[in-house]
Amino acid sequence: MLHLCEKPHFGCSCLMFLVWGFQLLGLNHGFGVNSGFHLNRSLTYIWPLPYELTSGNETLTVNPALSLSIIGRGGNFKILREGFRRYKKIIFSFTYGVPVSKNSRRIRSIFDISELRIIVNSDSDELKLGVDESYTLFIQKGEGKSIAWETTIEASTIYGALRALETFSQLCAFDYTSKSVQIFRAPWYIKDKPRFAYRGLLLDTSRHHFPVDVIKSIMESMSYAKLVPSYPKLWNGAYSKWERYTVEDVRQIVRFAKTRGIHVMAEVDVPGHAESWGAGYPDLWPHTSCREPLDVTKNFTFELISGILSEIRNIFPFELFHLGGDEVNTDCWNKTPHVKQWLDDKKMEPKDAYKYFVLKAQEIAISKSWTPVNWEETFNAFAKSLNPRTVVHNWLGPGVCPKAVAKGFKCIFSNQRVWYLDHLDVSWEEVYHAEPLEGISNESKKELVIGGEVCMWGETVDTSNVQQTIWPRAAAAAERLWSTEKALSAGNDTILHRLHYFRCLLNRRGVQASPVENYYARQDPGGPGSCYWQ
Amino acid sequence: MVVSESLFYVVAAAALVLGNGLAVSGASENSKVKVWPMPASVSYGNAHLYLAGDFGLSSNHDSQILKDAFDRMLAVIKLDHVIDANFSAFDRSSLLQGLHIVVSSPNEELQYGTDESYKLMVPSPEKPGYAHLEAKTVYGALHGLQTFSQLCYFSITRRVLEVHMSPWTIIDQPRFSYRGLLIDTSRHYLPMTVIKKVIDSMSYAKLIHNLSLSRYLHTLNCGMVLIHPQSDIQRPMQLKFYAQKRGISVLAEIDVPGHALSWGVGYPSLWPSKNCQQPLDVSNEFTFKVIDGILSDFSKIFNFKFVHLGGDEVNTTCWTTTPRISKWLKRHRMNESQAYEYFVLRAQNIALSHGYEIVNWLGVGVAQRVVESGLRCIVSNQDRWYLDHLDTPWQEFYINEPLTNITNSKQQKLVIGGEVCMWGETADGSDIEQTIWPRAAAAAERLWTPFDKLAKNPREATGRLATFRCLLNQRGIAAAPLAGSGRAAPLDPVATDHFKANLGGSDTILPDLRHTRNVSGSGVGYGQGRTSTLEPLFRERESWKLSQLLAGEEGRSTARHRSGLPPAVEKKLPYLKINLAPPPTRIHHPILTTNPRIT
Repeated sequence: MLHLCEKPHFGCSCLMFLVWGFQLLGLNHGFGVNSGFHLNRSLTYIWPLPYELTSGNETLTVNPALSLSIIGRGGNFKILREGFRRYKKIIFSFTYGVPVSKNSRRIRSIFDISELRIIVNSDSDELKLGVDESYTLFIQKGEGKSIAWETTIEASTIYGALRALETFSQLCAFDYTSKSVQIFRAPWYIKDKPRFAYRGLLLDTSRHHFPVDVIKSIMESMSYAKLVPSYPKLWNGAYSKWERYTVEDVRQIVRFAKTRGIHVMAEVDVPGHAESWGAGYPDLWPHTSCREPLDVTKNFTFELISGILSEIRNIFPFELFHLGGDEVNTDCWNKTPHVKQWLDDKKMEPKDAYKYFVLKAQEIAISKSWTPVNWEETFNAFAKSLNPRTVVHNWLGPGVCPKAVAKGFKCIFSNQRVWYLDHLDVSWEEVYHAEPLEGISNESKKELVIGGEVCMWGETVDTSNVQQTIWPRAAAAAERLWSTEKALSAGNDTILHRLHYFRCLLNRRGVQASPVENYYARQDPGGPGSCYWQ
Repeated sequence: MVVSESLFYVVAAAALVLGNGLAVSGASENSKVKVWPMPASVSYGNAHLYLAGDFGLSSNHDSQILKDAFDRMLAVIKLDHVIDANFSAFDRSSLLQGLHIVVSSPNEELQYGTDESYKLMVPSPEKPGYAHLEAKTVYGALHGLQTFSQLCYFSITRRVLEVHMSPWTIIDQPRFSYRGLLIDTSRHYLPMTVIKKVIDSMSYAKLIHNLSLSRYLHTLNCGMVLIHPQSDIQRPMQLKFYAQKRGISVLAEIDVPGHALSWGVGYPSLWPSKNCQQPLDVSNEFTFKVIDGILSDFSKIFNFKFVHLGGDEVNTTCWTTTPRISKWLKRHRMNESQAYEYFVLRAQNIALSHGYEIVNWLGVGVAQRVVESGLRCIVSNQDRWYLDHLDTPWQEFYINEPLTNITNSKQQKLVIGGEVCMWGETADGSDIEQTIWPRAAAAAERLWTPFDKLAKNPREATGRLATFRCLLNQRGIAAAPLAGSGRAAPLDPVATDHFKANLGGSDTILPDLRHTRNVSGSGVGYGQGRTSTLEPLFRERESWKLSQLLAGEEGRSTARHRSGLPPAVEKKLPYLKINLAPPPTRIHHPILTTNPRIT
C-alpha cells in the first residue's frame, strides 16, 4: 500500500494511470498549475511524528513474503501475531502475490528486507492506563558480509510493538514502476514513546446507533493514528429493536479494542442526561412530566446505579470510569413536591443535592475499584468535596486543567472550542495547535494532565458520516498528544503536507477521512484533483 | 445496553418500534415485506424460523462463486453479533439447518442478458428443515442469496438469527437487464478498497453493471483505476474478478474524441496543436492506432460485451482552427460535424473489430427518439439519475421511469435498462458511499421490480427504503439518511422523534429540523451546550453556497455534470433549486448501438 509516498512527485504515479506511453513522460508535464503539493522524499511522512529519528538515503525493497520472528518473553501473544498479519495485509495490499520460484533463497536475495524481528520484553498483556508504549525501530544493514538488511522492533510491551508496526507500515510504500514495496531513506533509527498516556476519542453512541462493526472500524482507524483510550458513550437509549448492543457485543468491542491496544471507557452520566432510564423505571424520574435529573431522594436510584456498575465492571476492565455529571438543571427537583420536601428536610439547596448525588455515585464507582472521571462542572461546583482520585474532564473552555492540577486533581483536556469534532467550523489548525498543558508551568503539575480527548458528539453523525467528521481532524489532535514539542519543532513547517498525506493514507485503507483544508469539516472535495492537495 | 437486556430498554424499544410502524403505514399490501428491491412475486405467512448454529450450504452445483457468496451472505447477516443461543432448547421444527441451492446451468460466464431469475422458498416444501433456492445460473442464485439475507434478522433477546413471516415463496427476476452505476475514477483517485466496497454495496441492491471511467481528463492530473494495461494489468483484472464473483460486470469507458486531452501528454501528436489540445486529431492515422491499441488491451481485461466510447461534449473548434486539420477536412470534403461522425464511426468500427458492442453518450437525444429509430438505449437522464446532483432527492430517483412516453412494446424492449451516474467532481474516498446510497437504491428498485409492483407514490416505499438504508449501515456501508439532500447529515434524535410524531402525509423530503431545536420541549438529549454553535453553521453554510452560486463564483459547489462546459453555461446550472432554466443541451442519454448504420 502507500502507493504514492515514494513518488518524488505525485503527478508521476498518477500519470502511470493516466497516460499511455508512460515511458515518454516528463514528470512535470502539464501539472504546473496544480502543483500545490509535491511529495517530498526528504520529508518524514510518519503521523504522528516519532520522538526521535534519524534516517539515511538508501532505498530498500521489502519481500511480500515478509516473515516474522519474535523474540523475548512477550513473544507468545496472539495479539502480536495477528497485528503483524494485519499490517502485512495493509503494507502489501497493492502487490499481487509473491514471486513464484522454487529457489526461495534466491527470492530472498532479491529483496533487501525479508524478515521483521520483534523483541518484546514484558510477558504481560495487561492494558492499563500508562502501559509502556515505547519502542525502537531500526532498519539497518546486517552485520558482516550479509547483504540483507535487518529490521528490528524492540518494545517492552506488545502494545509498544503494535505502535511500532504502525510506524513500519507508514515507512513502506508501493512503487508503481518496480511494482514492489519499498522503504526510502534507510537506514532508519526511530525511538518513540507517547507524550501523554491518555489520547482519547469520545464516540457518542447514544444519539445515533452505530453498528458494532462500525465501532470496530473506527477503532481500527484510531490505531493508525496511535490514539488509544477510546471512550464510547455506550449508554443512553435504544432506538429500535435492532439498534441495541448485547452484553456480548460490548465484550466483543472491548476485546477487539485490546487487540489494537485501545482502552474502552464507558460513561454512565448521572444525574442529568439519564432520562431514558425512566422508560424502564419510571420511579427514577422525579415526576412523569419532569424527568431529569434522576430522583435524588430515593435509595432505589443509587441501588440501580450500583447494580448497573457491578454488572458492567467485568465488561470494562479499564480502570477509569466516566460518571458524567454535566449539564444538570435542577429545576425538576425544586418543582417536584416530594423532592422539594426532601431537600427542605435535609436543609439542602438543589446544588447541595447535586453534590450529594455526584459524591454518592463516585463512592459507588470507587467501591467497584474504578477511578471516577467527572465532567468539569463537578469540579467547578464543589472541588473541595470531590474525591481526590477524581479525574476532571475539561470541556467548557480553556483554563480548567491548570486549576484542577493546582488542586492536585488529574485532568483530561477536551476544550470544546478546539476539540469537539461536532463543531464543524473548527479547522484542523485549531485542533492541531490546542495545547493540553497551556497555562501550567510547574513540571510536577504537568504530569497530572494525563492527556486529552477529542469528542465526537452524535447529534448529527451516524454511520453515514461519522468517519469523515472524525478524520482528519482527530489525527491533528493525535499528533499533539503523541509527539513531544521537540519532535514537532522539526516538522513544524510541513504539518499540512504531512496531514494531507496521512488523510490519503486513511482513504487508501478504506477510512473515509475528509479533505483537510475545507472550511467546514466533512465537506466534499471541492472539485476534481489529487487527494494530496485537497 | 448492558443491563438493558432484561431491564429497561426493552420497554423503550417497544415504544419506538411503534413509532417506526407509523412510518410504513399506508403502504401497499406488501407493507410487511421489507425486501429491497421488491421481488416480482412474494407470498409469506406468519411463522418464525431460526437459523441453526451450523446453518450451511448444500448445492448440486459445485461452484466457488456460490460458496464464497454464501459465506459472505452469512457474514452480513451475523455481522459481528455473538450468536450463542442454546439451540437444543429450540423446537426442531422451527430450526433451519441450511440452504439448499439448485443451479441448472453450469455456465458461469457473466454476460449481458445472463439469466438472473431465481425462486426462493423458506422453508423448502419437501425438506422443511431447509431453505430452498433455485436458479438458472449462479448469478440468479446470488440475487436469491441477497434476498434471503434480507429475510434474516439478528434477535437481540434470543441471540439467534431469525426469519420472520415464514413460509416464504419468492419468485423473482429483474425487469431490465442493464442496471448500472457509473463511478468516475478520473476526477478523484479512488483507492481499490473504496471501489471494492462500492461493488459490495451494489450487490446488496442487485445493481449489476459498474461503469468505471477511465476518463482521460484535461482539468486534472490524478486519477484512474483503469489504466495502461501493460503497465499494470493486475489492478483492473483484480477488480473485474472481484466484481464478477458478486455478479457484477465492469465496463470501461474511453471517451473519444473529446475528454481525451491527457492522452497527448504521452503522445503530443494526438493533439491538434499544443495550444488546442482537444478533441483528438481526426486527421492523424496515429490517433486511430492508439485507440486500436487501447481497445485491444481492454478486450483482454474487460470481456464484457460493451465498451463505452463516450463521444460526449465534443467541441470541434480546434479542428477548424488548426491549419493542418482544416486542410485535411477540406481535402476530404467534410465539415466539422461530418468529421465528428467519421471519428465516432471509425472508433466504433475499431471496437467492433475487437468484438465489442458500443455505448455512446448522446448529447441532446432522449430515450424516446432513440428507440423510435430502432437503437437500443440505456437511460440515465441527468435531472433524475445523476447522483452528483445533491438536490435530487431519492423520491425523484424512484419515480424516474425509463419507459416514459414509450408505449410501443417493441420499442420498450429496446430500452435495456438504466444507469445512475456518480460523477466525481465532489466525491472521493471520503464521501462517495453516502452520495451513492440510498438514492441509487431507489433507482435500483425502479430497474429491478416489475412496473406493477412499484410504489406509485414513493411515500409507500419510504419505510422499506429506510430499512434498507439501515441494513447498509449495519453492513458497514455509509449510506446517508433518506431525509434531506444527497449525503446530508442525519437529523438529531429529538428532531427525528418530532418528525415521526408528525409524519402524517408528507411525501416530500423530511423538513430540515436542524434549525428548530426546541421541538421536543423537554430539552433532553442535548449534551454539552454544543448545539448553539452548530445550528447557525448549517444555515450559514447553505446561504454561503447560495451566495456563491448567485455571485457566479467559480462554480465550486454548482455540481457540474461533466467538465468542459463553457463557463457561461456552468454558472447557470441549478444546484440549489433556483429558478434558472436548465441548460438546453445538457441532457445526457447514452445510446447503445450494435451498428449505428442499421436502424
